[in-house]
Amino acid sequence: MGEMVYVPGGEFQKGSPPWVLEWLERESQPFPGEWFRDEVPQRPETVPPYWMDKYPVTVAEFAEFARDTGYRTSAERAGRGMVYGSRYWEERAGACWRRPAGGDAPGTAGYEDHPVVHISFEDANRYAEWAGKRLPTESEWEFAARGPGFRIWPWGDVWKQDDANTAEYHAGALHTPEQWRRWWEAVCSVSGPMPQTTPVGAFGPAGDSVFGCSDMAGNVYEWNSTVAHLYDEASECDATLRAVMGRYRVIRGGSWMNFRYQVRCCERMYGDPDGWSNFATGFRCARDT
Amino acid sequence: MITIVLSSAWTQGGQTRFEAREGTLREVLRDFAASRPAYRHRLLDGEGEPLGYFNVYLDEEFVPRGERATTPVRPGATVTIVPPLAGG
Repeated sequence: MGEMVYVPGGEFQKGSPPWVLEWLERESQPFPGEWFRDEVPQRPETVPPYWMDKYPVTVAEFAEFARDTGYRTSAERAGRGMVYGSRYWEERAGACWRRPAGGDAPGTAGYEDHPVVHISFEDANRYAEWAGKRLPTESEWEFAARGPGFRIWPWGDVWKQDDANTAEYHAGALHTPEQWRRWWEAVCSVSGPMPQTTPVGAFGPAGDSVFGCSDMAGNVYEWNSTVAHLYDEASECDATLRAVMGRYRVIRGGSWMNFRYQVRCCERMYGDPDGWSNFATGFRCARDT
Repeated sequence: MITIVLSSAWTQGGQTRFEAREGTLREVLRDFAASRPAYRHRLLDGEGEPLGYFNVYLDEEFVPRGERATTPVRPGATVTIVPPLAGG
């Protein structure tokens, strides 16, 4: 169940060096500098050897778990899931991993080798337990994505639009939310709000990490086990980010919805672990050696 | 007056703290959306009722979804609105 790669462990400086924030402020992207201050300062981390899933968990793999256990996800129990509609996020009746865009939309036929979505923190943990695995810590996730040396994306420091499933892979270079909205409206007009996931491993080996993990930039957001925290309590960061510290769980990797800046190896996001999921959220597992 | 705090992701680098009138949380959100229509689609549904997908903290205390309609927001309080997926 789920091919894994051996990660030898090691020491590294987790987080982004100062020049990355300076670069982000110079780039044509919509967020202010303080938005990224949760990924600094770098801090030394040591991770022991571990195994990491080569790919995010797929629809077929999750289906086997659901068949075997009868498990119903948080979204299935709630009867609704978060989908980005024509203007913004919506809670759609019936949206869940079996039917990512909601009740009347197509199911997952043909998507068996895509990452499963609409996965809550609880769902991810229940699957991992069934598979004899666990969620990766944030340090394990970042180390598996970039290795012991710093790099912006899993393959290096030069953006490659065709090596990762981001919105820019589908739409071309994006710089503003308005450009993104126009792309998404075009998608919705053709296929409805279906997740624009791609088969796992579709961008390998060029888009793979140092250790051979695929889809660590984009495709789906990935749950980590680590509780949200600042690397430095004194960091001046967005007030709403500060509000989630100690409450949410770390999410890494960005997704097919994002620009290049949100799929960086050191980029940090945080998800509400109390049953929330959306149509771009999945996971991969780790295991002790 | 009270203070409403929004995410930089919503304001795209603009103002993130706003003064608003006190009332129940429902009233606060409705009044705020009426005075700042750019945020209406993020806060209210088509019938003008507060959406349930985001989390709300009142002076750092989490307000459960089912209690928002009646929770009073007193003068001087701070309401922080946080999407379920934060950062990015």
